[in-house]
Amino acid sequence: MRTSSLRKVFLGLLGLAVFILVWKLITDAKLVSPIFFPSPERTLASLIKGLSGGALLGQTLETVQRMLLGWLLASLVGIMLGALIGVSRRARAFIAPTLELLRPLPASAMIPIAIAFLGFSNPMVLVVIAFGALWPMLLATIHGFAAMEPRLYEVSAVLGLTRLQTIWKLALPSAMPMILASLRLGLTISLILAIVGEMLASRDGLGQSILLASRSFRSADLFAGIVILGAIGLVGSRLLSLAEARLLRWQATR
Amino acid sequence: MAVTQAPFHAGEFDRADPVPRSVQPRIRIRDVTLSYGALQIIGGISVDIAPGETISVIGPSGCGKTTLLRMLAGLAKPTSGSVELDGSVLAGPNRSVAIVFQDYGKALLPWRTAAGNVSLALEARGCPARERPEIIRDLLDKIGLGRHADKYPSEMSGGMQQRLQIARCLAQEPKVLLMDEPFGALDAMTRQALQDEVLSLVAMTGATMVFVTHDLEEAIYLGDRIVCLQPNPGRVGRMVDVRLARPRDQLMTREDPEFLRLRRELYDLIKDDHQ
Ligand SMILES: Nc1ncnc2c1ncn2[C@@H]1O[C@H](COP(=O)(O)OP(=O)(O)OP(=O)(O)O)[C@@H](O)[C@H]1O
Ligand SMILES: [Mg+2]
Repeated sequence: MRTSSLRKVFLGLLGLAVFILVWKLITDAKLVSPIFFPSPERTLASLIKGLSGGALLGQTLETVQRMLLGWLLASLVGIMLGALIGVSRRARAFIAPTLELLRPLPASAMIPIAIAFLGFSNPMVLVVIAFGALWPMLLATIHGFAAMEPRLYEVSAVLGLTRLQTIWKLALPSAMPMILASLRLGLTISLILAIVGEMLASRDGLGQSILLASRSFRSADLFAGIVILGAIGLVGSRLLSLAEARLLRWQATR
Repeated sequence: MAVTQAPFHAGEFDRADPVPRSVQPRIRIRDVTLSYGALQIIGGISVDIAPGETISVIGPSGCGKTTLLRMLAGLAKPTSGSVELDGSVLAGPNRSVAIVFQDYGKALLPWRTAAGNVSLALEARGCPARERPEIIRDLLDKIGLGRHADKYPSEMSGGMQQRLQIARCLAQEPKVLLMDEPFGALDAMTRQALQDEVLSLVAMTGATMVFVTHDLEEAIYLGDRIVCLQPNPGRVGRMVDVRLARPRDQLMTREDPEFLRLRRELYDLIKDDHQ
């Protein structure tokens, strides 16, 4: 178990090293103009400079904060709304078709509406993030509730659990595997929409910084921003995986 | 006369009832029928069950044993007739009627440990958090799971999971314990051990028990009376008194001539149903 997970980490690092090497070979051979495509060294230099005194650190924090805020909002609303809809078969039948209609709409379709109501503001970006990231959580919660073992509803009835206890102690935990998976998906969507929102509404953050770097042909800064974006996504998803493994310990055993 | 010969009418069973009529029955099943659409599943069952009595229910597959038990638990509503608990009509599930489901895998919460599963029943009846650990420990000890309190159901064998379900039912402090073929999936040794555990728990708590089983010997070993159901629609074919001394013993009781006689009688009865 230990050794195989170590080997996995090693393989992952090896893959990364190969990727960087190929990158370096391409830039060394000048296959693409350095104006568009910086070498790994230049990207690293820009990264270090940006994080250790430049604007990059602040922008990263802006974006992370925006992403987390939108994600939290989406999670809270998604899970609570999903629970409300999920507990009642009638509510599910009532609202499910509407949800299915709304769900395929890309979050970007929501942007003009959000702009119309809120202008180019931070709340606008937040609403766009929350709206886009809402769906996985909402649907996972509804489906998780609907998929609860019917026998457990009978157990709850025989034990005399209240409706709230049934939701809290039975339905929510049994939907938890689905909800946790959706939280991870929601975080990815939040990051993407945070970037898009910042670009569109000229809000401070990595999105805007990347956009500006690209407009002024500062390719090393552009790539430094992208590397950080990747790192944010990776760290976020890893942290959630850890939480998942801990919360779903009961599942892992067999 | 050890055996009631006349089936089909509740009144006639009362005569063979070992408990005097003056005692109010814990459960009174009154002319209960149940239909799904046009299909009648249960066709008029009447039985009185005295406090502390253990009734075994046998009958061919599909004759309505589970359906009957679900009506006693308040999980299914009779189409006509009624189920009374201590003289008042049972309108729905009731905390004083516990049921051990046949499919233990579905009835336990996989995300809670053994202790947590028992705790659910305590939480449901508003038992203060301070008092729970001790009650849980007691119950798990009683049912032989004391050392496995921190295991998840997925880490337990079938017998352990079924024990856990029983422990959770006991935490309900029920007056009536309903069991639906609880030991069906277990090997003979585990099965006999659990039979004795259940008997001693029932004796200790004074609970009334209705025990559904496919196994004739199990029905005799556990019961004060045996209800033999006939299929299509489910109804009482025969009610048999079990006059065997308590406490029962796996070797002595099973070698008792009365035990062998009952086994023979039930066997002939069931065989007829299958023809
Ligand atoms: N929800 C339902 N809808 C329609 N028919 C049902 C339903 N539940 C049970 N039945 C029917 O009722 C009859 C009795 O079922 P039940 O489960 O009570 O039988 P059983 O005696 O417990 O059988 P077994 O010994 O196999 O467990 C069966 O014929 C079954 O098909
Ligand atoms: Mg059955």
